[in-house]
Amino acid sequence: MKNFSRKQFLKTAAGAALVMAARAFSTPLSAAEKFFREPPWKRKKPYWGYAVDVTKCIGCARCVDACKTENDVPREAFYFRTWVERYILRRSGEVNVDSPNGGLDGYLPPSDPGTVTKSFFVPKMCNHCENPPCVQVCPVGATFKTEDGVILVDRKYCIGCRYCIQACPYGSRFFHPVLHVADKCTLCYHRIKKGLKTACVEVCPTGARMFGDLSDPKSAISKFYETETLQVLKANMGAEPKLVYKGLDKEVR
Amino acid sequence: MKDIQHLLRVAVIFAAAFAGFLVVRTLLVPKSFGKAGHYRADAVDEFAQLPRRYAGEHACGKCHAQQASDKAKSSHRSISCESCHGALLAHVENPKSDTRPRRPKEAEMRAFCGHCHARSLSKPGRFPQIKLSEHNPDAPCNMCHQPHQPK
Repeated sequence: MKNFSRKQFLKTAAGAALVMAARAFSTPLSAAEKFFREPPWKRKKPYWGYAVDVTKCIGCARCVDACKTENDVPREAFYFRTWVERYILRRSGEVNVDSPNGGLDGYLPPSDPGTVTKSFFVPKMCNHCENPPCVQVCPVGATFKTEDGVILVDRKYCIGCRYCIQACPYGSRFFHPVLHVADKCTLCYHRIKKGLKTACVEVCPTGARMFGDLSDPKSAISKFYETETLQVLKANMGAEPKLVYKGLDKEVR
Repeated sequence: MKDIQHLLRVAVIFAAAFAGFLVVRTLLVPKSFGKAGHYRADAVDEFAQLPRRYAGEHACGKCHAQQASDKAKSSHRSISCESCHGALLAHVENPKSDTRPRRPKEAEMRAFCGHCHARSLSKPGRFPQIKLSEHNPDAPCNMCHQPHQPK
């Protein structure tokens, strides 16, 4: 074999490094990379999004009541497609959260108001995630994301294994005591398909709840997404929620 | 030669098992499964056809024009009729047969209006609130305040 001089080796190595670097920078994006960079609502019409303005919520729980009426959700406590939590932050750093019967029973005033630094209501519901953990874990394909971005549970196909209830980072699912399937917010699919508002948005007296078509750049929700300072819950979970909050405190989980 | 027969036997068993798998698969997998994704596409339409209870904000004014126009000029203008009066699609579809009263009873009125207007340190400060125990405790709210034109 011919002798490979030091100079030749360095030259070849430098050339190879240059070629590799050039390739690394010029490789086109894979389909998966493109998917996460381009918001899906730019591709599909309509594509539903939801927003909550925490600074407007008065904790009247009309939404909780309307949701149960519209969707035949059992009236007993612990069966909620949406509920309203009250947060109480104290000078000591203590944080108390309560939601008596989802908010329907009203909230007792704190016995020691002097220690409270701030308090507010946070409506909770399914986040209709872009990357939903509940859909990933379903063993039979009964829970899924529709083409317009809503997460649903197929009641005829669900085997009731409850895995999705465990997987949801937001506690938005429950086991339906009558139907014996997993149940959750459908974003009032039977209403929005007919051009109506969801029941919770319909009855909200202060406009704290908002929903609409993200694929329409002129819709109120698109404007809200673009212009307000927003937060999502548990962003570290990587579920990419399409439920965004305005005015969310860092203590909210 | 004998060896080939062995192989053939295995091949036949394998083919039969595969055919059996295909038959079972056709029988068990729902018709519309996989059409739009890893789910039964028909389930989406089933959800879209579920019955409604709330009529929506534009249904009431067609008959109750006076109340609708009063409310439209008041500070309650952005509140939907069904926020206070409840789900009313049944009444909208059959206004003559479904005539149950839909306003809060006088005895429950203070609690009902209080859902929104009772003082609470958790509510946004700019929202109008009263102390129910101090603000004319024995009077029903609508003695002074008309819900369609609140003052």
